[in-house]
Amino acid sequence: MNAIYRSLIILLPLIVLITYGTILITDQDDALVYFEPKEFPQFDLQDLEDREIDLAAFNGISLLNVWASWCITCLVEHPFLTQLSKNEITLIGLNYKDSQVKAKQWLGKRGDPYIFSIYDPRGDLAFDLGVTGAPETFLIFNQQIIGHIQGELNQEKWQSTLVPLINAATMGNQ
Amino acid sequence: MIGEIAHFLALASALGLILVLIFNAFFYSAGRHANQDILSYKLFHQSCLLIFISFGLYIYLAITDDFSISYIANHSNSQLPIFYKITSIWSAHEGSMFLWIVFLTLWSTLFINSLSFQHQLKKGTMLMLTIIILGFLLFLLITSNPFERILPFGVLEGADINPVLQDPALAIHPPLLYLGYVGFVISFSFITAYLFHGDIHYPWEKDIKNWSLIAWIFLTVGITLGSWWAYYELGWGGYWFWDPVENVALMPWLAATAFMHSLFASSKSNILKTWTLFLGILIFALSLFGAFIVRSGIIDSVHSFANDPQRGLYLLGFSGFITLISLGIFAYRLPNMQSSKLIVTGSKESFLSMNNILMLTAIFSIFLGVTYPLILEFINGDKVSIGPPYYNTIFAPLILLTSIFIMISLEALWQRGMQARTLLVAVTPTFVISSLILYFIWYFVQIFSFLAYIGIYSGLLIIISYLLKGAISLKNKTYINKGSFIAHLGLGLLFFAVSMNSILSYQKNINLFLGEQQFINNSISEFKFLDLQNIKASNHDVVSAEIFIVHDGQPIFLNPEKRKYFARGQITSETAIHASILKDTYLTIGDQLDDGSWTFSLQINYFIKWIWLSSALMVIGILMTIFKKKIS
Amino acid sequence: MKLLTIALFGCIFFANCLTADAIYEFDNSIEEKRFYSLISEIRCPKCTSGSIASSDVPVSRDLKQKVYELILAGSTDKEIKAYVTDRFGASSDYKPAFEGANYLLWLGPFIFLGILMLVFLSNRRL
Repeated sequence: MNAIYRSLIILLPLIVLITYGTILITDQDDALVYFEPKEFPQFDLQDLEDREIDLAAFNGISLLNVWASWCITCLVEHPFLTQLSKNEITLIGLNYKDSQVKAKQWLGKRGDPYIFSIYDPRGDLAFDLGVTGAPETFLIFNQQIIGHIQGELNQEKWQSTLVPLINAATMGNQ
Repeated sequence: MIGEIAHFLALASALGLILVLIFNAFFYSAGRHANQDILSYKLFHQSCLLIFISFGLYIYLAITDDFSISYIANHSNSQLPIFYKITSIWSAHEGSMFLWIVFLTLWSTLFINSLSFQHQLKKGTMLMLTIIILGFLLFLLITSNPFERILPFGVLEGADINPVLQDPALAIHPPLLYLGYVGFVISFSFITAYLFHGDIHYPWEKDIKNWSLIAWIFLTVGITLGSWWAYYELGWGGYWFWDPVENVALMPWLAATAFMHSLFASSKSNILKTWTLFLGILIFALSLFGAFIVRSGIIDSVHSFANDPQRGLYLLGFSGFITLISLGIFAYRLPNMQSSKLIVTGSKESFLSMNNILMLTAIFSIFLGVTYPLILEFINGDKVSIGPPYYNTIFAPLILLTSIFIMISLEALWQRGMQARTLLVAVTPTFVISSLILYFIWYFVQIFSFLAYIGIYSGLLIIISYLLKGAISLKNKTYINKGSFIAHLGLGLLFFAVSMNSILSYQKNINLFLGEQQFINNSISEFKFLDLQNIKASNHDVVSAEIFIVHDGQPIFLNPEKRKYFARGQITSETAIHASILKDTYLTIGDQLDDGSWTFSLQINYFIKWIWLSSALMVIGILMTIFKKKIS
Repeated sequence: MKLLTIALFGCIFFANCLTADAIYEFDNSIEEKRFYSLISEIRCPKCTSGSIASSDVPVSRDLKQKVYELILAGSTDKEIKAYVTDRFGASSDYKPAFEGANYLLWLGPFIFLGILMLVFLSNRRL
């Protein structure tokens, strides 16, 4: 009996040590949010140019990027998004809690990488998507959300997180 | 120059401590030799002194605005009052680590100095303390150097300190807390030395008793101060959030409380020795764990210092190393430590043993709450959030069990069981009175919450049973431990006040124009928006409102404010509180709406003063215990 | 005029004027209690820790508003929590669900207590 207690006294702290050590060493990218594929929520909004939105835009692979004219990090992200839109993937914007006029001015000044931007002044669609601020980016495949990044989208996150998801989806694994 | 001298002194100190270790290792086999010991102790104390001087110089650097020191430039500012220049030293990782080490050193040097030269455990304790201080000092100098310079010229002005940190309570909360955390290094090291030395019969409890009690007081005061600050500053009316950093302060506190009780049993009747030794080691181990959690970035918390996995690994590794040494020796000696007598069921010892078990369970629950989300996320990426709902649910039954055991234990005797009949006679009045009071409360208040009522009942059991015991001892002129009496009343009051606060407190959001008044409810018959002022202070703009409230017939004037600080554009809210005996009238300004009206958040928080009182009672009780011994 | 100046000053000062009314009016105190209880159990998705009750960031305000609307619309506490976790993840509920691995979480402390009591009842020399 005693032997068991004595070894437990050493073993338990050792397990705690190893557990915490392992967690600490393992690099976890906490900008990426994992979850089950979700249906894209219904919404009743128009785009920045007051046109109706064709839901067919969500077929195939695309990125939905949450942005606003008041969002400073979006400025940082913008060049990379422009680059992506040219070569890699379709970009759809979600203009979040913004003024329509200011948003259009912002795009006019910096260039518009989006095929269109949904105008969501009250953040209704954003709320249903689980958006907590700007910028955030969702990976969409056939009307489903299969990835979600919070914060700035850059080359590193694109390469390490989104590209594998895109490959997995387009190879019919979803 | 001064910075370099301070840095040099810290390095010299580390060197001194290394020499102490090498010296003792070298001469270990040669046997005890008085001259070597004298030199050893001198070297130790001198090294400690160097750290104090180094820190003293660091304070000088902060006061004189030496912004060529990177840390001071990042955390202080020439416009700050001197008090806040000093307190900015411990506002972030490097400086607070430095403070931690200073306190570690302070406790160590005072304790070692208090032991006579012939004391058989003086050397062993000193060596253990040397290893610990050295480990942290090297950590500081290598990974978290507070003496780093900004080259070549430094900066002209420091960064603006976060206005939230410019608060007296928040400023002295870390030093008090650290004094508590770190004070238990004494019991840790002394017990390790005792176990290593192997002389079972040495009355080790006496030597560390008062030191541990004083450390407990600092820890209690530090935690309470943090709670109090959160209450009046954060504006939400909460005082405890089960935030990971609060939790890692609570765990050592629980272990320390169990240790105090166990020490009492152990020194009185040579029983529960293994428990006491284990707890004495556990407290500091939990403090180390706390330091690791806060400084490694492994857990997100509003309190945590900057993330650095490297630093985290060092702290984890070093803490694990010294804890395993201690526990290893403990495990080795375990068979020898067991008492010759069996613990009798229903004896006082058995209840103290049960108390230890319950405290350990509480510690485990908190540990589980902190660790489980980390492990779960690590294994399958699932995220789970653990907060007040979890801890309240788990703690309610534990608190009830504890209260029942406390109540029964008042009748227990040393080394003898209890008669069922005596017990029933003693305990029934308490049950009955407590139940009546609980019913009366429900009848009067008409609000029910299962968990809260468990808390209220637990508090009542303790309070009533102690009051009855006190009354009987007064009448029969028998002995009663006054310190214990006061401290336990404080504990019962804490359970009672916290639970009553949770069921009675409520909140109203109010919207009105300047000059307007409203009727809120039967209790708050008038709420009048008297005045609104825009003031410009030296580093912030203020919007200050004057509100007149009639609360239960009492007229109250409150001045909540909203401030916008220029440097970072940060907006803070200054709560206006009117604290009366039973309740606090607590008011914050919300936003101004498009139509020009303003919103206010009015909270009525009940029994808040009683929460602070309960903490004070516990501290007073322990102080009485310390000084009673000194008199007799 | 004073009111106007204050109104202007206030609006420039605190750029929150665009957000909705933060007044939660309830006719019935049970609903009011449910509201305050729920918002203390829903985690703020953007903050490092804390519930939406103790947070004023935009997404917290939106969540509080939504909870308010859902209560008025007659949703149960369970439905409201599900509504929130569907959108912001399971970690936005401070009460972990009682299922799967979480059994360890909820029962762990009591199992621990039980084991300790067994150990110390059978070994009386400690």
